[in-house]
Amino acid sequence: MSFILRRISTTKTGKQIVRDQPLPGDMITLGRDSSNIIHVADLAVNPQHATISSGDGRHVRVAASEGLGFDLNGRSETVADIDSGAGGELRFGGHRLTIAREGENVILLVERIDELSQSSKDVDEAKAFSLQGVMLGKRMGAWAFGLLMLLAFLVGPIWAWYSYKNVDERPEGFHADSTWLSGPLSSAHASLKDDCQSCHVEPFVAVTDTACVSCHTGEHKAMSTAHAGAPTAMLLAARAPDGGFDKLLANVGEVFNRPQGRCVDCHTEHEGAGPMPATPQKFCADCHNGMQGRLKAAGHPTLLADASDFGTGHPEFRPFVRAAPGAKLARAAPGKGTVDYNGLKFPHDVHLQATGGVARMAASFRGRYDFGQKLECENCHRVEADGVRVKPVEMERDCAMCHSLAFETVGGTTRTLRHGEPDQVVADLTAYYRSTPPARPLQLGGMQRRRPGAYAEGQVYSIYFNEVAVRPSRAQDAVRAVFSKGGACYDCHTIFAPQAGNSWRVAAVSQTARYLQKGWFDHDAHRETDCADCHTAATGSKTSTDLLVPGLRQCRDCHVGESGARLVKVETATESPCAMCHEYHSDGGQPWVPNRQRKVNAAAITNKPLGATYGVSLITGAGGRSLYKVTWRTPALHGASRGG
Amino acid sequence: MASLFQRRRNKATQTERVRERKHEGFLRYAGFRWAKISGGLCLLIIISYALVDVTPRHNGGSWYGYTLGTIGAGLILWLTALGYRKRKMTSDYWSLKAWTSAHVYLGLSLIVIGTWHTGFQLGWNVHTLAWALMMLVILSGLYGVIVYATLPAALSNNRDEMTQMQMLEAIRAFDRQLHSAAQPLTPADTAPVLAALDEDPFAGGIGARLSGRYPNCAAAAALRTLAASQSSDAAARDKVVGLLKQKVAALARLRAHLRLRALLEIWLYVHVPLTFALIAALSAHIISVFFYW
Repeated sequence: MSFILRRISTTKTGKQIVRDQPLPGDMITLGRDSSNIIHVADLAVNPQHATISSGDGRHVRVAASEGLGFDLNGRSETVADIDSGAGGELRFGGHRLTIAREGENVILLVERIDELSQSSKDVDEAKAFSLQGVMLGKRMGAWAFGLLMLLAFLVGPIWAWYSYKNVDERPEGFHADSTWLSGPLSSAHASLKDDCQSCHVEPFVAVTDTACVSCHTGEHKAMSTAHAGAPTAMLLAARAPDGGFDKLLANVGEVFNRPQGRCVDCHTEHEGAGPMPATPQKFCADCHNGMQGRLKAAGHPTLLADASDFGTGHPEFRPFVRAAPGAKLARAAPGKGTVDYNGLKFPHDVHLQATGGVARMAASFRGRYDFGQKLECENCHRVEADGVRVKPVEMERDCAMCHSLAFETVGGTTRTLRHGEPDQVVADLTAYYRSTPPARPLQLGGMQRRRPGAYAEGQVYSIYFNEVAVRPSRAQDAVRAVFSKGGACYDCHTIFAPQAGNSWRVAAVSQTARYLQKGWFDHDAHRETDCADCHTAATGSKTSTDLLVPGLRQCRDCHVGESGARLVKVETATESPCAMCHEYHSDGGQPWVPNRQRKVNAAAITNKPLGATYGVSLITGAGGRSLYKVTWRTPALHGASRGG
Repeated sequence: MASLFQRRRNKATQTERVRERKHEGFLRYAGFRWAKISGGLCLLIIISYALVDVTPRHNGGSWYGYTLGTIGAGLILWLTALGYRKRKMTSDYWSLKAWTSAHVYLGLSLIVIGTWHTGFQLGWNVHTLAWALMMLVILSGLYGVIVYATLPAALSNNRDEMTQMQMLEAIRAFDRQLHSAAQPLTPADTAPVLAALDEDPFAGGIGARLSGRYPNCAAAAALRTLAASQSSDAAARDKVVGLLKQKVAALARLRAHLRLRALLEIWLYVHVPLTFALIAALSAHIISVFFYW
């Protein structure tokens, strides 16, 4: 038996050349050191690594000598007995030792099977030098991210829509389609945040009016009778023909299944939390600008004047007035000097004069009433509790300070004629003259006896008793005097003399609570402004038929169009869209305006000079009552209960 | 007439030659033609945005918003098509350089188109997600433009006229020499050398690639150990130490090269997958608008 070392080399053509070399001795040493019989140039092999021997020429014993072992069939060993007939494979470092038997000889085949070093391994240049080896592939990432997005933001929401398709109200909690919410809902609709389907009922169908009125039932029944009651043909005729671009937009909208004229055209949503934005001027002016001509041409003549912009195109106000004494209330005819017969005689000019009898009288009452050196508007006019309108003047409260109806004092208590009841006045005066004797002359006083013939005294006596006898009939004269020129009633009222079957009558007094029925005016919003700034005609008004309601001109001193358009010079401009005064859903109440906007508008007019107000308070002191000094605000009333 | 056109064409060819001689990159292409077009587009949008009156306020759902959105979505799809165009060799009028130049500048203009399309109303929803993805894609692209403009010079300096494979071949040569030179060393000394040979020059994750720092480098460790070792024959050890020094230097060059290449490539791993995420989110955004119309 002998050991034969076999080497196999491969030619370039792939042909294998086998060379056998018999090894001397029975004990073969294997190691990195060149003194070994089998010299393995492998750093992973020890200088003297192992010995290979065979006792019977069939079994081969391999024993590691220096700690480092070898691998036999994948297991690390230090000693191994191998039947050379069956053969075996051992591994030393990067080399493989194959033991086999050929005839009598044991063949030892030694081959390098590992690369010399890691760097010697073959590399794919494109991959190794780029990031391909260390990063997840771009294509993989693209698919993964893309599918994730589609699942989370397309499939999920549509599934949410599908699963609540026929449900009236969705349960609380997260719904995948809330990721589609394009912006916060207005505060009124905030609770619908998770329930997209409450408005977006059908997919790919723009929000319909049906969705709105399924909740909003009340408002839209009352929705502007003028608009809701008008025939559709008339409403369509009223609309200004679209310009080229608007027409294009409308057409594009139609193509994309987004028809015009829906509630949501004006009431836009998803525009941020807070109140819904106020309706812009455009939505009114679209029709009302030049509407009269269009309607006439279309066969729907109208009295409605054109309105395009408050600053530049707005008809003159037509307040509610009585055009003649006793006439019915009607809107003033446009373009004429307006009079209003309210049944009173009241010259504003006399009462507002800085000098003269009225001012002297007012000054003399300082301390008793809140009067200054002269009368101010607020001395007689008071606002309603909500501050919006001015209360009707009441005689007892607002006039009687000066215009007293007292006629007798009994034990320090003053008796006054009953205001508003002419028959009672007649009765009171008659009773007064019946029950009271004339003043008794002094000469008739005492109980001493008189000598006969004291004629002079008798003259007084007879005059007095004659007077006592006719006293009750004097009442007729007093009554006539009260109701006639110079009398207490006649000064302010229109009096009708007694006619057959009638006593004295006073013409009815009607004070109009709201002159401007079509627009909303809030005195409270103008509290910083002096009365006379708007009611300019008051100081010059000689008769009560003068209508002192300010006209368009006074409003335009501050109010300009929505975009600031104006015809006159304005110092502190308040931009005023239609909706500031006009309510489309006209329920007679206040037009709806977001809170934010209110504040802005108030600020715009605070820098008006308050000369007159200061003037009064300088004289009367801080205690003086002005129109708005009182705590006037009460809990907001419903629009309808404010009258209107 | 014919000669006139001839002359014009000659002039055009000449201009093209001058361009090529000066190496006009995609950024300067045609005298910044696409930069001017895209800048003009942005300016047009910013001005018209201020002039157009949208009530109650600008948003993606106005006619103006829809217009910008349509332009933006179309642009995104066209920009994505660069990936297709660059794989398709053509000799058309639209050179890849022109295409890339337009891709870069129109892509940047998408910042204005997309953001102005939102009307500056952002929230936690799919619409803003699409916008955010778009911005990430644009910013990664911007990074790409910057590194393409700055890093190739560093890459060239580091290469020192060697190819990538030559760098690797150098390391292989040092490994072979190390292997034979280390044969006489004691087992204690061969272990670190063996570890150095066993080290994959391309090992290390994305962090190592981008930072270029390999604190556990076996070659450097072997160099330290052998320089301090006393056990083997001094002459053999010195030879191994010398070889290790050379290998460490070669490794450093290769790693610097890998780092620069990683910096040049990393943005595409953000840019491309996020582009497809963007297209998916954009589809969801558009479908959602029409679904809840």
